[in-house]
Amino acid sequence: MITLDNLGILCIVMGLPFFLTGTVGLLRFPDIYTRLHALTKADNVGLGLIILGLSLQADNLFTVAKLILIWILVLIASSASCHLVARSAMQKNIHPWVK
Amino acid sequence: MQDNNRLSIHSHSHLGRCIFLRFLLFSAVWLVLTGSEAESWIIGFPAIGCAVFLSLKLSPSSHVSLSFVGICSFIPFFLRQSSLSGIDVMRRALSRRLAVNPGLVSYTTFLPEGAPRIFFVNTISLLPGTLSADLQSNTVTVHTIDKNIPIWANIQNLELRIAILWRVTPQKGKAL
Repeated sequence: MITLDNLGILCIVMGLPFFLTGTVGLLRFPDIYTRLHALTKADNVGLGLIILGLSLQADNLFTVAKLILIWILVLIASSASCHLVARSAMQKNIHPWVK
Repeated sequence: MQDNNRLSIHSHSHLGRCIFLRFLLFSAVWLVLTGSEAESWIIGFPAIGCAVFLSLKLSPSSHVSLSFVGICSFIPFFLRQSSLSGIDVMRRALSRRLAVNPGLVSYTTFLPEGAPRIFFVNTISLLPGTLSADLQSNTVTVHTIDKNIPIWANIQNLELRIAILWRVTPQKGKAL
């Protein structure tokens, strides 16, 4: 039987591989810039799915609003810090890895 | 002289309105994050005060005019693109031979300085395969994970959507 609870669990389980591949990318990718790609993108989607899963299991709309707000704040923080890390690498003349 | 006076009074009330709106916004964020516990405001009020002060310091003008239609079309676009970018990174990280072919691209944007441009630079990093690495006045340096994807078209599409979102009219002669 498909309940909101089970749907929530499904979303959370779907979100976990994104965190895993984000970490795999962090370990496998060749330089700082490509690693940033792995971290920001995969983690944002992973967190998004987990937030969606938890929202489906939430008791009230207030909790849903809180979860979505947390996701938005994390999105802002991760894209801003990603840009700052990349920019400081550029300023230190770290050249991107090329094939 | 009279004009000057009027101007300063006007900007004064504008500043007040600015502070008030930001105070409301940050209070709403605090309320949603901490729930209805009254004691949390012992920390909340000073934190909100600091946030208002810092935000005024970092971006003094808060002349924001977002278009409602723009927001409605941007949210699904953004959700779709960021999911695609997560799947894209997943595929590249797990492929047996590393599927990366990185490179740098410079892009000159027509978006005005301030909120629209900052928003643009930040969303580039959440699009599939692109990451904003530097911003010098109106030129964004974009790092791409794969030179074979249509970066130029993707960024241009994003730029146009952000222009609609912030009600910016493209000034072709100026930008190109």
